[in-house]
Order: sequence, then structure tokens, then C-alpha cells
Amino acid sequence: MKELLTPRERFGLLVIDEPQDRVPVFPLVTAHAARVARIPIRDYYTDGIAMARSQLAAQEFYGTDFISFFSEVGLVAEALGSRFSYPDDDLPLLAEPKWSELGELDDATADPMKDGRLRVYLDAISYAYEARADTVPILAYVPAPFTTAQQLVDQEAFLLGLLTEPERIHRLLEYATCSIIRFCRAIIGAGGLPILVDPLASGSVISAEHYREFALPCEAEVIRYLHRYDLDIVLHICGDTNPIIHIMPESGADLLSLDHVGLETAIAAAGDRCRIIGNFDTTAIMLSKPQEVADSVAAMVLAGKPCPRGFVAATGCEVPVETPPENVRAFVRAAKEAGANADWGARRRA
Amino acid sequence: MSERSLTSQAGRTSPTPGWADPKPARVTFDEWQDLFERVPEELVEEYHYFPPNREAFSKYLFPPQTFAIYGMRHLRRLKYDNSLAALRMWGFVQNETERLFRARQLGRRVIATMGDLGAVPVIVNSFPDCIAFYPDCIWWTPFAMESRVLFDAAAELGIGDATCFSRAALGAFAKHSYFPDPDLVIASTGASCDDYSGVEQLVERFAPDMMWVEEPMRCDMGRMGPMGPMLVKEYERVVERMEKLTGHEITDDELRAGVRQANRVRKLVKRLRELAFREGAMASLEMMVVEFGNLHHYSDITEWPHVLEHLLATAESRAAADTPVVDKDALRVVWVTPPADPLLLTYVEDAGARVVGTEYVINQALEIIDEDKPPLEAIAESFMAASLIGTSKARAQSAIDQAREYRAEGVIISGIFGGSHCAMEGRLISDYVKAALDLPVLEFDVTSPSREIALQIGTRIDAFLEVLRSRR
Ligand code: SF4
Repeated sequence: MKELLTPRERFGLLVIDEPQDRVPVFPLVTAHAARVARIPIRDYYTDGIAMARSQLAAQEFYGTDFISFFSEVGLVAEALGSRFSYPDDDLPLLAEPKWSELGELDDATADPMKDGRLRVYLDAISYAYEARADTVPILAYVPAPFTTAQQLVDQEAFLLGLLTEPERIHRLLEYATCSIIRFCRAIIGAGGLPILVDPLASGSVISAEHYREFALPCEAEVIRYLHRYDLDIVLHICGDTNPIIHIMPESGADLLSLDHVGLETAIAAAGDRCRIIGNFDTTAIMLSKPQEVADSVAAMVLAGKPCPRGFVAATGCEVPVETPPENVRAFVRAAKEAGANADWGARRRA
Repeated sequence: MSERSLTSQAGRTSPTPGWADPKPARVTFDEWQDLFERVPEELVEEYHYFPPNREAFSKYLFPPQTFAIYGMRHLRRLKYDNSLAALRMWGFVQNETERLFRARQLGRRVIATMGDLGAVPVIVNSFPDCIAFYPDCIWWTPFAMESRVLFDAAAELGIGDATCFSRAALGAFAKHSYFPDPDLVIASTGASCDDYSGVEQLVERFAPDMMWVEEPMRCDMGRMGPMGPMLVKEYERVVERMEKLTGHEITDDELRAGVRQANRVRKLVKRLRELAFREGAMASLEMMVVEFGNLHHYSDITEWPHVLEHLLATAESRAAADTPVVDKDALRVVWVTPPADPLLLTYVEDAGARVVGTEYVINQALEIIDEDKPPLEAIAESFMAASLIGTSKARAQSAIDQAREYRAEGVIISGIFGGSHCAMEGRLISDYVKAALDLPVLEFDVTSPSREIALQIGTRIDAFLEVLRSRR
């Protein structure tokens, strides 16, 4: 059935604290879009037009409320010199970080037009923007400094450095932040809304203390930059966010995209400051039957809807590449049904 | 010396304290992003709508990129004045949807005024905590977004491509997401455009409370003529309805203050028009936005005058230094009927012309209201100068007068594909202008929203300007 609002209009209401006709629906369809478009995954992340066409096809096929560009978190690190391998039908893999240990930094800054695959993303954003930005928000995931730093230096050396060489870690984070902001600027110019993604800052990887000391200030710096443009910024941290959910709003994020944390907990800790996006289990969406997906999604939406600043029905992390399409469709259908505000038009007129 | 201290030093005499504008120029979307990156944080923090409110959400000094990301795709193709005052104006105007929703959240009453383009808001804005806005201005949104979404929504309600682009307002009402559902709709009709009257009729189903105001026809018996008193009575009904809505009995002083407030804006705009048309101190795109601000002050009667003062200071300093933003020697044209596609103004200026006079169907909003008369009578009298309530000859005369005053070399009339009123008037105005002045006239219809100017229209503009050039 044709809906009254476009995804763009619905999102517009969400970010100015107005009720919507239904909750926005956002299964995090990233590389899975390549399956919808029936192209090899390698094409998806090395060819901007292919990436855009896949995302456009997936958005139309599933009827989601966003187009979101993402392949993997090494994007900026690669542009700065880390080496990635490109399997034919899988996502890029970190082959060799730029540095094997914490040491002296160079003065490189990633050039979004030239370095690594940043240009692939910009091409994808521009293409999708021209095709559909009047009706659908175009989002672009940007790896946050803390996550990027772990793709620049051997991860073990980095994590050890948090304890033994905090000064060096701070310098490395500044180094990453500089290129990330430059990339954000190019995304803005192309018409995309940057989403900050920081999975390696989750409670599954570091403690709340380290999150507050190292990851949070860089997230805040990037978000401050984006707020200069008055953009509504999503901070996505998948994995376990129980230990940090109460601190995450200090990043300045306007929307928190969450994974392993109870929705009630998240709403109690952050729902008065941020809109909550979440948080369907990605294993479940891949392995369950469509009806099971639908039932669980409906329960999730009922739990999320009371969030005072608003709620977006999403998966906690990326929809796995091999997820059966009928499960994603079940997700979308159930979220729309359970998220509907039946009296929306009438209430707004009253 | 650092760039910042240079800025501060220059800022002492600059229209913007703490900032030195670059040499006046029209710049692209990308160039504005480069400029915005250099704007100091304190300036981004400085400007808020609904002053003295300082809530974080009410900042508005943001570049076209911000609004492009939220769907305004056409902003990527336009050229902009590179002054900070112009950036401020764009940020303020683009922010209007959010501002209206915030107004409601802050407990203010939001009143949709329709059809009369300039008079009823003077009354509405005189009431405490009431904000008037024109859904009519949604006219531009399909072009700004390069989108048929609002037209499609209107079509589903029975009004399709055979009607003026103003039907976008109906689509916006149906969608409840371009402005808050108004507390009251005050729709003017009568001696007006039949297209828009049709739109207003269809809006009624979305209006919880709607009143109709009869617009009289202007006749040749002086400004007020026999119909003036009827209009005053109509405005008395508006006052009554507003009093009922707000529970506030308005005083003569409050209405007079409302008139003075409107006049403050109209006088600023009058001077800006003078500087733009005579000195090339503002470009036509910014000036179209400025002129339409007279309608309802972009839903913020307190902040809009400050935005205009900033623009005026910029224009005055350009005129004093003889540093125009558009080439003073460019071909001079008068523009009749506002172009639904703002890219046309960019196109014409890029092609070597500048606009030195306008008849944008809002003559009534440019009139200075007589502050010595009883307010409702004075508002009615100013409305009797309206573009749409008289003959086409009167609109043509306005274009002719401006063409004479600013030595225009040609007249451009942009019509509306599917619009009945403007389409009908275009040919008549063209004939009157040609009869009165020995000037070439270009007349065309703007078609649907698109990312570029239709090839045929572009070619006709190029050829027209070539003719003007050859006549020099
Ligand atoms: S046809 Fe002309 S007067 Fe009528 S609504 Fe359209 S623009 Fe306004």
C-alpha cells in the first residue's frame, strides 16, 4: 500500500521531535544489497556506481526508509596506507596495517578524491543522491577515529598501548580524526549524511573507562564538526554497549544505533537525549523463519516506541550478506505494522 | 599575522563584526562550502531564530550543503552571493519548516494565511504569540527538491498538471510534514487567481478551522474606491476571529505596532531593491528571496528584520565602494512573475544580464502602509495596490515604470505551465509593454521541476540576450 509520507518526510519529522505516521524502518542493509542487485560483493565495494545501484535496488525492493553506504570499517585506514585484500565475493580484509606497532606518525592526511576507496563512496553517494535524495535520506557510514586507529596499527599493539602508551594513542587518534573530518566534509559536499560507526569502541572490546578516555572525545570532535552543519548525527556502536550506553550521549550524537543492549535499558539511560535506533539480532534475522522474524520485530518495536526522543526500527548491526530476502521483507513489514501510529493524521489535526 | 586577526581587523568596518567578506561575487555551491569552513565558530553560534531565544536548535547560520542533504537538491545548481549576510539569509529562509514546528512546540499559535500575499499577516502578527505563514510559498519546494512528490500528492486529491504549481500547497497540507497543522487557516479569495482559489477550496478538508476573506476588485476610482470599506469589514472579521482563537482582545496600539513592524521590513526591502537595481549590490536570486520576505517575514517577525539589516549593510558598503556583486554593465532586464525555478535567475545572470525591476505579483507587500490612518483602513488601502486584484494593464504599467526608471533593455515574463491566471496575463502584459516601450520581451512558461533549464528555454534566453546585446 502506498504510504502518505516519503522516508525523507518521515525522517524530517523525527529529527525535529515531531511524531511520525509510523516509526522509520532501517534494517542495516549494506553489502547485502549486492545480493539484491545480483553482483559480486567485490564490485559493490570497488565501484561506486555499482554500490549505488545496489543500494537503490535494495531500498526499493525492501521499502526501507534509508539508503546507507558501507562496506567495512577499514576505509579511512586504507586511504592512509593500511593494506587490504579484496576477495572476489567477500568484504575487504585487513592484510597489513600501516604500522605493526605504535611509533612515530607521518604527516599524511587522506585525500578523499584520490586515496584508497574513499572516492568509491563519494561516487556512490553522488549517484544515489541524484537518483533519489528527494524522497530518501542518503546515509554514509564513516569509521570513527578509535576504530580507524585499530586498522592503522596492529590491533594487539594498539590495545596494549591503551595501558602503556596513552600519549601515543592520543596522537594516533588525532591523526585519524584529521582524515576522518576531511572525508566527512567530502561526503557533505556530495549530499550524504555521515553516520559515525565505532564498533571497536564497544564494551565487547574495551572498558567503559577506556571508552570515555580515548574513543568518546574523538567521536565528540567529529560530531562537533558535523554539528557546525546542523546535521543530525547517528553514532553506531555494535556489540555490547551496556557498559557505555549512559556515556554515549556525551558524544553529542543525536541518534544512537545500538546492538547488544536491552531497549528498556537504552531508553532509560539515553532516550531523553537521543533517538534510539535498534536493535534486532542479526543472527536471528539470518537464521529464523520469516514469521519468527516478524513476531520478534513486532515485540522490539513495541518496546522501542515509547522512547521519548523517538525510535527507529533497525537491526543491531549489518544484515548478514546471506540473509534470505524474505526475512528482511518480514522485518520491514512487521516493523511498519507494529510501528504505525494509526491516529497520526487525525491527531495532528485535532 | 594570522588569518583570524586579519579577519578581526577587517571586521571593524565590515557589515559582519568578526568577519571580512571576500570580494563580492556569485559563487557556486562548492565554493560556499569552502567559505563556510572558514566561518568562525562564534558566528555560527551567534544567530538564532525567535530571539531572545538561544536554544541550540534555533541556530540557523548553515550553508546550502545542510539543506541539500535534507533533500533540497536544486541548491547544488544555484549561484549564491558570497557575503556572510547572504549566507545568513539563506540559512534563515531554508530553516522555515523547522521554525514553524518549533513555534508550535514552544506554545505559539500558527496561522496559515493564504492567497492575499501580504496583508492578513500584518493583523495576525499583531496578536501576541501568533505566527502567520503562507503555504502558498511551498510553490517553490518541488523545484528546490527537484521532485514531484507534492504534485503527486495534490494529484491524488484531484488537482493535476493542468493547474498552477501552487497546487503543491495542497500536497503539503495533505502530508502534515511541511508545517504544523495550523490553528486557523485564513484564505483570501474573490478578485484573485482562480487556480489558487481552487487550491484553497481543496485545503478546507485539512483545516480544523478555516475562514474565508473576500478580496475586492480594484476599480479605476482611486486607490480605495467603493470596495475599500468592504475590505476593512473583512479585516474586522479577521480580527474578531483571531480574538476568539486567542482569547485576546487586541488594542489599537497593538495593531499600530504590527503595522510599524511590517513597514520596518518594507522600508528595508525598498532600499535593498534600489541598491540592487541601480548599483548591482545584490543579485537577483537573493533579491527574490528578500522581496518575498515581505509576505510573512519567513515566520519570524523579530529576526527577519535583523537579517535584512545585515544584507542592507552589505549592499550599502558595496555601493559605497563601487564593488557590485553583479556587473553593473550587464544587460538590464525587468522580470515579470516570479520564476518558479530559481535556477532561471542564475542562468540569466550567468548569461550576462541582471534584473533591474520586478513584478512578482506581490506589489501589495511592497507598499508602505500609512501609519497615520486607522490600522485596518491603512492595511486595506495598501492591499488595494495588489497585483492580482486589478487589470493586467496595471501589472504591465508597474513593469513599464520600472523599466523606464532603471533603463531596462528588455523584459522577461516567466509563466507557469498549467497556470491559468499567469498564463493568460503573460501575453497581455507583453503587448502592453511592447506598445509603451520599444523593448524586446521574452515570454515563456516554466515547466516541471528538473535539475537543469530546459534546452528550449535556455536557447530562447540566449537568443533574447543576444538581441539585447545587439541593440546596444
Ligand atoms: S497562476 Fe499565477 S497567480 Fe495563480 S496561483 Fe499560480 S502563480 Fe499565483
